[in-house]
Amino acid sequence: MLEIRELTRRFGDVTAVDGVSFDVRDGILTGFVGGNGAGKTTTMRMVMGVLAVDAGEVRWQGRTVTAADQRRFGYMPEERGLYPKQRVLDQLVYLAQLKGMAAETARRAALEHLERFGLAERAGDQLQKLSLGNQQRVQVVAALLHDPAALVLDEPFSGLDPTAVDSMADLLRERAATGVPVLFSSHQLDLVEKLCDRLVILSRGRVVAAGDADELRSRGPVRYRLTLDRDAGWVRDLGGIHVVDVDGRTALVEVIDDGAEQHVLREATARGTVRDFTPVRPALADIYREVAA
Amino acid sequence: MTTTRLPQDRPGLDASPQTSPDAPPGRVGSAWTLVARREVVVKLTDRSFLIGTVFTLLLITGFMGYSAWDAARTTTYTVAATADARTMADRLAEKAPGIDDGVAVEVRPVEDASAARGLVTSGDVDAWLARDGDGWVLTTDSEQKTALTRVTQDVVRQESLRQRAEELGTTVDRLEAGSTVTTRLLTGDAQKADLAQGVAFAFAFLFYVATLTFGITLANSVVEEKQSRIVEIIATSIPVRQLLVGKIVGNSLLAIAQMVLYAGVGLAGLSLTPYSSLVAGVSGPVVWFLVFFVAGFVGLAALWAVAGALASRTEEVQSTATPLTMLVLAVFFGALFVDGTVKVALSYLPPFSAVLMPTRLLEGTAQWWEAVLALGLLLAAAAVVVTLAERLYRRSLLQTGGRLSMRQAWSTPE
Repeated sequence: MLEIRELTRRFGDVTAVDGVSFDVRDGILTGFVGGNGAGKTTTMRMVMGVLAVDAGEVRWQGRTVTAADQRRFGYMPEERGLYPKQRVLDQLVYLAQLKGMAAETARRAALEHLERFGLAERAGDQLQKLSLGNQQRVQVVAALLHDPAALVLDEPFSGLDPTAVDSMADLLRERAATGVPVLFSSHQLDLVEKLCDRLVILSRGRVVAAGDADELRSRGPVRYRLTLDRDAGWVRDLGGIHVVDVDGRTALVEVIDDGAEQHVLREATARGTVRDFTPVRPALADIYREVAA
Repeated sequence: MTTTRLPQDRPGLDASPQTSPDAPPGRVGSAWTLVARREVVVKLTDRSFLIGTVFTLLLITGFMGYSAWDAARTTTYTVAATADARTMADRLAEKAPGIDDGVAVEVRPVEDASAARGLVTSGDVDAWLARDGDGWVLTTDSEQKTALTRVTQDVVRQESLRQRAEELGTTVDRLEAGSTVTTRLLTGDAQKADLAQGVAFAFAFLFYVATLTFGITLANSVVEEKQSRIVEIIATSIPVRQLLVGKIVGNSLLAIAQMVLYAGVGLAGLSLTPYSSLVAGVSGPVVWFLVFFVAGFVGLAALWAVAGALASRTEEVQSTATPLTMLVLAVFFGALFVDGTVKVALSYLPPFSAVLMPTRLLEGTAQWWEAVLALGLLLAAAAVVVTLAERLYRRSLLQTGGRLSMRQAWSTPE
């Protein structure tokens, strides 16, 4: 397990990452969500040891992480680009060798992975001859090749077409299933919601929410949709709730005082027929907006 | 070589991966050899590099070939002479090859001056030799024939001298007795000094070109890795020191191989020319030059790597490398122009010593122990520079916020 403890990093007067703590558990996909400048990349670079830590620490298997540990992690930096003029297979083998793999093993593993992404026949091409999406696949292969003990991927889905997103998602799930902790950042909330077992939401350098998706949703505002036979405008006069929206016979209300929804329902039945009264599960995007505001 | 001073088993920058209990069986210690090998392989498969090298080799062999051909050929001049100048013209034809083996003279007898002038104008003869009062005139069309003129002056002078001597009842030898001046150098000898100058220039130039071209290549490859962030992947795989050492070693090997190739082809070419007797004299000093070249190049290469790391985009390398370009230029011009005490002093001062000490050795103005001392200083300086450069390189390599100054790089936290 990868534990991030009170990680802090300042650039001049700006505190980019401010006491960030969360866990990346074994065998689980952890999504790292936040807007631009929230501190995701800075945090990941500190986890990988690319950037020095001002305060706090990164722990691996219960002790402070070492360069040797980080060497066994797979990492995909934010901005993509391997060597544009080198052949795909050659640079994959080179990078794997730097990780300590034997050349022949690396070559076999690289071809296997390229095959999987349908890139086997491009192995001898210069990287720059590949489309951007394919270059990104090669980059992912580079991060996975040496059978990493943990995966840290900065925006692995950005720029991928839907098919590539699916095969990338499969790949990450598969890696996680072998017991490897996987941390990846994204700003595509729907994707993260679908894919992740756990989420960490970062805003202005701080963790504003962390947990599994259901847990997070339950922390969101409790809302009910009310559909009546006639105009629902009267809900505006009730206390203990916040009216999010009224549209003719339908109203969306948010509960402020506990049990206020029962009061709404009693009022509604007293006034006529109630067609529908349902709790509305907030989308993660709503929670994100809420906590990151 | 400085590279051997960075032992393979030295731990990385802030961690010692190979001492960690659960480190993989990989060879972090030899990671720099992987980096060096990649640098070499990439360069050797780079078409523009290969074309550039072949082109330079063609230039060298072409120049050698031209010199050989130029030295071996003989130009035959046709000289018109009227009856009264025949004797002198024949004497000229007879003696010319002895004075300049590149000049042969044929005599064309002519009726009179106007016929001679006509032949010169039409280009049928190269020159017209005629008596003019006390002296002689060599008339050519629109350009002077330098070699012919020199030979003619010599022959006419000797001939006149011989005639005057006869008139005076004496001989030329007696007239010239005691008038010879020979030269003598207190240090070295004349031929060696000429040779030293030529060879020193050639090597100063090669050093300049090699440090500049390979330096820029190195700086660019550093910033390329930085710009594409692949350096972040590499830095999480191996210590940054290993990356730096690998890049320096790889590029140094390439530069040295290219130098040896050029120098070898040059020497082989020289042995085919009439100057072949010089080859033996030059080959020894070439070894000294190579030794100093390696030491000087390694130190400068480390600085070029820093210049690359200070930039954040390829376009910025030019400005971050400016001080270095100036230094390399200074070394080149220093090698060409300094003399006397300054030369002696600079021959100990790195990086000037890289070119000046072997030059002095070639001139015969330096003792072997001076060379050893200068080499020691150069190696020490290279080691210090590599160490300082490593800090600058390491600290600026992973900074992504634009161009860095040397001071920022030095004091920036990692």
